[in-house]
Amino acid sequence: MLEFRQVHKAYATPQGPLEVLAGVDLTLDAGESLALMGESGSGKSTLLHLAAGLDLPDRGEVRVAGRAISSLGEAGRARLRRETLGLVFQQFHLVPSLSVLDNLRLQARLAGREDSSWTAELLERLGLAGLARRYPEQLSGGQQQRLAIGRALAPRPALLLADEPTGNLDEGTADEVLDLLLALVRDTGCALLMVTHSPRVAAPLDRRLHLTHGRLTRPEAGQDACP
Amino acid sequence: MPLILTALLTLLSHYRRHPGQLAMLLLGLWVAGALWSGVQAINASARDSYDRAEALFTTGLDRLERRDGEPLDRADFVSLRRAGLPVSPLLEGQVVTQEGERLTVIGIDPLTLPGDSAFASAGSRGELTAFFTPPWQTRLAPDTAPRLGLARRAAPGAEPTLADGRRLPPLVLAPALPPDTLVVDIAVAARLLERGNAVSRLVTAAGALETAPEGYRLGRADTLVDPGELTASFHLNLTAMALLALIVGLFIVQSALGLALEQRLGLLRTLRALGVPGRTLVALLALELALLGVIGALAGIASGVWLARALLPDVAATLQSLYGAAVGTELRLPWHYWLGGLGVTLSGLFVAGSGILWRAARLGVLGLGQAQAWRAGFQRQLRGQAIAGTLAALLALAMWAWLATQPAGEGLLAGFVLVGAMMLACALWLSPLLAAGLSGLGRLARHRPLTQWALADLQLQLPRLSLAMMALLIALSANLGVGSMVGGFRLTFLDWLDQRLTADLYLRPPAGQFDAVQAWLVARDEVAELLPTADAESTLLEVQAGDDPRGLAVPMTLFGITPGARLTPTWPLLETRAGREAAWRALEEGEAFINEQLALGQGIGPGDRLVLRSPGGQQRVTVAAIYPDYGNPRGEVLLATAALRERFAAAPGSLGIVLADTGPPGERQAEALSPALTRALDARFGLGRDALRDQRDVKALSTEIFERTFAITRALNALTLAVAALALLASLLAQARERRRRLAPLWALGVTRGRLAAIQLAQLGGAALVTGLAAVPLGIAITVCLVAVINVAAFGWRLPLHVFPGEIGLTLATALGVALLAAALPALTLWRTPPRTLLAEEEAS
Repeated sequence: MLEFRQVHKAYATPQGPLEVLAGVDLTLDAGESLALMGESGSGKSTLLHLAAGLDLPDRGEVRVAGRAISSLGEAGRARLRRETLGLVFQQFHLVPSLSVLDNLRLQARLAGREDSSWTAELLERLGLAGLARRYPEQLSGGQQQRLAIGRALAPRPALLLADEPTGNLDEGTADEVLDLLLALVRDTGCALLMVTHSPRVAAPLDRRLHLTHGRLTRPEAGQDACP
Repeated sequence: MPLILTALLTLLSHYRRHPGQLAMLLLGLWVAGALWSGVQAINASARDSYDRAEALFTTGLDRLERRDGEPLDRADFVSLRRAGLPVSPLLEGQVVTQEGERLTVIGIDPLTLPGDSAFASAGSRGELTAFFTPPWQTRLAPDTAPRLGLARRAAPGAEPTLADGRRLPPLVLAPALPPDTLVVDIAVAARLLERGNAVSRLVTAAGALETAPEGYRLGRADTLVDPGELTASFHLNLTAMALLALIVGLFIVQSALGLALEQRLGLLRTLRALGVPGRTLVALLALELALLGVIGALAGIASGVWLARALLPDVAATLQSLYGAAVGTELRLPWHYWLGGLGVTLSGLFVAGSGILWRAARLGVLGLGQAQAWRAGFQRQLRGQAIAGTLAALLALAMWAWLATQPAGEGLLAGFVLVGAMMLACALWLSPLLAAGLSGLGRLARHRPLTQWALADLQLQLPRLSLAMMALLIALSANLGVGSMVGGFRLTFLDWLDQRLTADLYLRPPAGQFDAVQAWLVARDEVAELLPTADAESTLLEVQAGDDPRGLAVPMTLFGITPGARLTPTWPLLETRAGREAAWRALEEGEAFINEQLALGQGIGPGDRLVLRSPGGQQRVTVAAIYPDYGNPRGEVLLATAALRERFAAAPGSLGIVLADTGPPGERQAEALSPALTRALDARFGLGRDALRDQRDVKALSTEIFERTFAITRALNALTLAVAALALLASLLAQARERRRRLAPLWALGVTRGRLAAIQLAQLGGAALVTGLAAVPLGIAITVCLVAVINVAAFGWRLPLHVFPGEIGLTLATALGVALLAAALPALTLWRTPPRTLLAEEEAS
């Protein structure tokens, strides 16, 4: 589903180029879930942006659902995001001017794959059934993140990319949101790449990788364990 | 399709949550469109009137006049036709309807009138024979029918009665005819006007005669100025004002668009992340612009037409009094007017929005949603503005230098370019100067943290405020400039009226009684001095400056005045040959004064000699002085009344009566003596109770005409200022919530809410005051350009420069008032908001 082959990415800084990904190799199969861990500034988000086609690698190849990101134009990458991917952000990025229901079905509508029974089910399972007409600013942080997850899953994407989805939530709410996310991912059968710095959040996923100095490693014993 | 529709609806949903921004956008478009299309509707209607007038008989035809200056009559026509010359007679005059309206009657001979002019196109296609055989026809434009007290539909076939009881032949509608004009057969016109065998003009097709026949003078069509040409400068003035309003309106639009886009950066990022291509998003933003543009433009055009309907009567009065051009008071809009209005508003919208679209297209998806990325561009924008402002200033300097080398009265368009470039330069420089000033003040205030914060915060607000400030600067300076010009004109005009209307009472006796009345009045004890006038029409045939004679054929008015103890000390003279006293002596000895319009228009100065047509042939006069003649559309030559009547057989005009100082103390002479004198005049000469007119009534009437003349200028000016004030108010209110959020941390740090509210007031009041102060020198510079360049070129006379401290105070007060009002509403909310709510808002953001 997702494949990184010797991917390099550097940013220009006043002190010279800063290489954040230095030959990353990664494979994620359909239905599989992977947690990508690392310190702040280790390049986790950059890797996620490359996987989403929001950015392009300097060298190497990123393939999503069999298609090389670099070979696609801007419109092609947008189409890939629309039809194949689901994105969940730490800051939710809901549309403040749309109601809960309209936010939930936004991506499905953009992809031309709106399924009203699935939307209703999502609304129910996300615990937002009574809040459909409200606006995002009227929801709590946990409710907003649940809505963001629902929006990403509404078109039944093949790959869900989540960037610190519980980073803005308190521990109890984070656990609740994470359980819901994993349950929905299991039910829809999509693959999941989740960026997190928390071993506790990473623990329930099928695999965990650590990004250090631009390279992926398996977490050492103890790093992998839940606190 | 679902992609485009969903993304478009999502983009538009922003306005559902921020209706104020939508209102601001539509308001800008609406106002810009309304003022622009209103003025264009007025111009289009006026042009239609001019075209109809030109299509008639007044221009496009050569004309013959007798060399001996005697009036033409039917015998001239008959003899010229017998000589085989293709001339046609016209008889013109005025009739009064039962409603008291004056209409022009033109009598023609359709059989001899040149076929490709006038009647074939201006008249209807009806049978010619019906026109010149009993019961005849009266042809008129549909919009003239109401002046005869008839509805349009009822007009065809009607035979309305005139005030003198005569009946017009049956009416036939002819849309191509000019307003307020009745076209009849020349025999009918002679009967209606009681003119016997008289002929007003003999015309012939342009170029049909190579030379004038013996005893006649040939006036070529191309030497006659058509009304469209004459009034072009007035319409250019109006268009410039409308363009100003359009620009100010578009400033609001750009400001609203910038705000709407900045607040939607997060949304744009989300949509891009969800798979909407960047180009699609930019195209959708453009589509959104177009949708809003069409709505705003249509509303603007509808309001513009309404505005034009309201202003057209005043404009028509202005054109009549300034240029003598007849303009219908009913709107007649060609089809392209509607498309033009829509096109201009939409083009303006896309010009205003193109910068926004360009910036939206250039921002990378990863940078979207970060306000800093947007603001980082502001520094570049400031540099760009400073460079563009410098270029505009250089253009203004170049125009000024070029105009300085041109003769007076030239360069109307260059004058407008100069004013436009000056305004643009100042507007572009405003934000860089404000930013630099705030930065400098911030350094000075580094030991006063709250002041430093307020300055830094204002700097942060500049990107959003700058456009509204620029719009306000332009509107304030234009308002001050035009206001000072009109105010200065008013002062000068009233002063000039005082100087010219020196007698206490005025009387206009019938020509036959004039001399008898004059003799009777001279013998009265209460009359100290009499100032008789006379007037005549003539043509300036030649100007001799030194040994270089120039042949001309300029129609003009001759006016006679009586130099005396009351008149000569106050009558203003602009330029004399050998001083004021010598000029008045020269006038008494038969020399002439000319008005400024004639001097500037024909390049005539004191000492030049003029050859004028007179009934007895030609008369030569020397120019002794030039005098101001505000508001007169024509050239005028002034002579002593006695000389004018003797040399030009001029008809007597009015009698100015200077009263002796014999009335009771403390009472105006005119009021005290007028009733008795009126009774005596009525008893002696049967002149009626209204014969004597108080000088104050004449002045009041002239002032009323003046005020009406500038009604449209004042209206457009006030509307433009209102638009700019609204722009600033809307900009500030749209940002009020965000500004309030930024104050929350200060409250948390221990600053009281009262202090925070005061900071807000000081920030915005200060910025507006700086804008107002910048508008003052710019406004004065605009006044200088208007009185020294544009007015001279447009109207033919120069005005003294007047600066009004009251106007300047009003300008500053307007700027300050708007800003304080805009700051006061959020400040009041802040005052009432519980402090905890402020912090909650800050955290939520």
